[in-house]
Amino acid sequence: MRVSFSTAAAATAAVLVLASCGSGDGGGGGTAASGELAGEGTGDSCTIEGEVPIGAVLSLTGAAASYGESQQRGLELAAAQLAEKGGVTYDLRIEDDQTDPRQGITLFDQFVNDGVSLIIGPTLSNAAVQADPIAQEAGVPVLGISNTAAGVTEIGDYIFRNSLTEQAVIPQTIATATEEFGLQDVVVMYSNDDAFTESGYQAFAAALEEQGVTVSETITFSKADTDFRALLTQAQQSDPDAIVVSALIEAAIPLVTQARELGIDVPIIGGNGFNNPRLMADAGQAAEGVVVGAAWNSASDNPENTAFLADFEAEHGAQPDQFAAQAYAGLMLVDQAVRANCAADRESLKQALGELENVPTVLGEFSIDENRDAVHPAVVQVVRDGTFAVLE
Amino acid sequence: MLAQYATTLTFIALGAIFAYSFYAVLIAGQLSLGQAGFASVAAFSAATLAPSGDDVGDVPALLTAVVIGMAVGAVASVVLGLPTMHLRGVFLAIATLGFAEAVRVVLLNQEWTGGAQGLAVPRILTVGMAWTALAVVAYWFWRMGRSRYGRALEAIREDELAARSMGIDVGRHRLAAFVTSGAVAGLYGVLFAYYVRLIAPSDFDFTAAVDGLVTAVVGGSTMFLGPILGSGFQTMIPEIQRAVGVEAGWIRPFLAGLLLLVVILFLPGGLTSLIPRRTRVPSSSGGPGGAADPAPRLAARAHPAAGETVVSLTGLAKEYGGVHAVRGVDLEIRSGEVVGLIGPNGAGKTTLVNMISGLVPPSSGSATVLGTTIGRTPVHRVAAAGVSRTFQHSKLFNRLSALENVLVGAHLVSRPTFLRRLLWLPSARRDERAALEHAARCLRRVGLGELAGNRASSLSYGDQRRLEIARALAAEPSLLILDEPAAGMNHVEAAQLSELIRSLAQGGLTILFIEHNVGMVLETCTRVVVLDFGEVIASGTPAQIAADPAVIEAYLGTADDDPGGRSVADGTLADPTGSSGAATPDAVTNVDPSAAGTLDIPDTTPRNAT
Repeated sequence: MRVSFSTAAAATAAVLVLASCGSGDGGGGGTAASGELAGEGTGDSCTIEGEVPIGAVLSLTGAAASYGESQQRGLELAAAQLAEKGGVTYDLRIEDDQTDPRQGITLFDQFVNDGVSLIIGPTLSNAAVQADPIAQEAGVPVLGISNTAAGVTEIGDYIFRNSLTEQAVIPQTIATATEEFGLQDVVVMYSNDDAFTESGYQAFAAALEEQGVTVSETITFSKADTDFRALLTQAQQSDPDAIVVSALIEAAIPLVTQARELGIDVPIIGGNGFNNPRLMADAGQAAEGVVVGAAWNSASDNPENTAFLADFEAEHGAQPDQFAAQAYAGLMLVDQAVRANCAADRESLKQALGELENVPTVLGEFSIDENRDAVHPAVVQVVRDGTFAVLE
Repeated sequence: MLAQYATTLTFIALGAIFAYSFYAVLIAGQLSLGQAGFASVAAFSAATLAPSGDDVGDVPALLTAVVIGMAVGAVASVVLGLPTMHLRGVFLAIATLGFAEAVRVVLLNQEWTGGAQGLAVPRILTVGMAWTALAVVAYWFWRMGRSRYGRALEAIREDELAARSMGIDVGRHRLAAFVTSGAVAGLYGVLFAYYVRLIAPSDFDFTAAVDGLVTAVVGGSTMFLGPILGSGFQTMIPEIQRAVGVEAGWIRPFLAGLLLLVVILFLPGGLTSLIPRRTRVPSSSGGPGGAADPAPRLAARAHPAAGETVVSLTGLAKEYGGVHAVRGVDLEIRSGEVVGLIGPNGAGKTTLVNMISGLVPPSSGSATVLGTTIGRTPVHRVAAAGVSRTFQHSKLFNRLSALENVLVGAHLVSRPTFLRRLLWLPSARRDERAALEHAARCLRRVGLGELAGNRASSLSYGDQRRLEIARALAAEPSLLILDEPAAGMNHVEAAQLSELIRSLAQGGLTILFIEHNVGMVLETCTRVVVLDFGEVIASGTPAQIAADPAVIEAYLGTADDDPGGRSVADGTLADPTGSSGAATPDAVTNVDPSAAGTLDIPDTTPRNAT
């Protein structure tokens, strides 16, 4: 007994030592006194003495890891550029909620206790509903960068988001597509075991009804599915004018590829989940003609977006997706809010975020409305020659 | 200070409660993954059905939800348990996993659950409430540990067959454990829902189930503190990693997995194996106050009067495929007899006692043992009628102490104590002490009094055989069946065993025993039955048997100087080593077939090939 205990203790200690070797900087920076978070000057000339602590809760591992990783890249790029700009320094602490509600809640609790000025995230809308109330109760502003479900900002007056809801993007997509392709009846396919795609489906269904388009069939699948041939054959039988899909990129790629293999050449219309360069990279020729309604126009030539695309590509050797763009825009908006009053305490940030108006960002001209939701132009894109082009 | 860690502490409590739902079945040796399904169904039902906190107050709302959730969890586990309780090991795991997955898919497609987007639930649970609930659950399992019910579950885990023959109704106990698990899982589901504010079916998926199982196993599934330690460990890993500054990302789950591996490798019994296990050995003097307050003796069984029929077999037969293991045995054993059953290896001796003790149903013929008809009567009922046995290959409860093994043996003669232990009733204490002292007496009777606290698996082979006898004796049987009890004993020990058997017989016990030690059989028994090829070839007093030419020919062998003249195929050459035993019946000679000399040719001919 004693022998095995000491062996186990030694082994445990060894692992902990190993763990600490892999550490970067310690996370416990302590609470900055609020006096240090007020500075002098306004806008670009604003200078704040202390570091502004910002917490970010992302799903870096677990089911939503691919989005969290994109968001991390976007945030880190923005943080690096803000550090270069100077005047205000940010202490950005990115933490992983492991796509687990328990971790998300614990992290929000810790960030609130650590005295961060603002929390960015979490990645998933469900996690936001679970964790945002903690920040709301403690009076810590939250900026959601990918929460698209309805009701997230209704949690309270400290909860903001820069991500357009499905309801803001999808009606426009359906309206444009109906006009372009003269849609009369469509088949809708969606994965019903994911909150993001399910709320996307609901927005599609409402928009289709509004446009007077008949839904001849609704087919559900699981987000883990990769073989859609049987479902697509079923969809083919009702000879639709288009197939409307609410799915994550992991399902979107095989679905689009297999549809084209089966000879389905009607337009495929997707939502935010499709707004990812991997669609063209992995589906190749099959992606041509896919219509993607999205919150971020990756083809936009506004100066912020052009610079972002170039910088991201230089940093990571790959094109950013919508999650990265929204994350990047998120931290830039926080910087904008800090500089507006040249103060980074929680109350000033809350007030400044609510007053953001017509800020040029990679997402276009950005404002926050009275419900603390994002207002900026949505875009309907179509894949042409391997890139997203705006569908006029 | 505490407020800062409230979230973590709450999740430790919640994780521990969920782990208890796995512990509840692991302790009975069942591997179930259905608990996530129970928790899910309970959480969604309770959150939908329970009144709002605004109408009745928060705490009553939560309590109502808990009651609904536990009831739903228990009902769901009965529904799943009834058709699956006969499944074992990985098959049960797969069946229950299928159930949990079915629940997830159904809830996902229901309107009232909110589908993938989940169901909003108010946060009512506080860290204090979570730990109160955990304390109640932990208390339940703590008090269960040393009750008759708890020991029965452990016995089932260690050896189901042996538990059955000690009179434990395995089916009922397994179902009870399963329902406990369902109710505890339901409790977890409700508490979780009322803490995290939003529940979605994906919160109770396969990953969640595995998480609960890992927590229970890492903590240790044989001691009630296990789930709490396991949950503390599992919940603290991410905290510690954050505190020491491991970069967020894949490295953390990797290190967590590595740490888990280390714990399981070095502590296979879980974290609780760091806690020394206290074994109770009642002092023979009775301890303080023992003299003033003598423990009540256990209800002794009234044996049938001497000469009454205990076992009556008519034309009993057993076939396995085309092999006739036992053929048309007619046998009557009367109370007070000591019957020795001898015969060459493969003669059907063990099959015959397996039928008598109810383990194996006969193919034809009829058998009545102590008033019960053998065939469709479950083993535990036969045991309850007063049949107790040992096994040819020891079937001890290996991870239990010698004393606990014997306590399980006393299952039939002791009273249920779990519910009274929950209430700390003094009568439960008295009953437990009576059972303990009874068990200690049985141990001393076979000479194992000193080894009471040792694990059964740590005993020597001979001591294990004796422990089996003590365990069988603890049931206070009317018919004791011993299957090769002296195997592995030296001649001194065998002589002591012979002495013990005779003294038991004097106490009114009927004994049937199989033994290869022919000398010992002839010395001990009042009657000897010789079996060959599944048939009784002789029956009579030891003197008659020793002189019976057929027996000598078939089993004991003669001093034949022409072994080659006999046919191997007809099996008469089966055991030629017993000649010395036959010649001097009083000598205690072990004729274990493994000690057979070089003379014989192994009998490889299929039996009854015709």
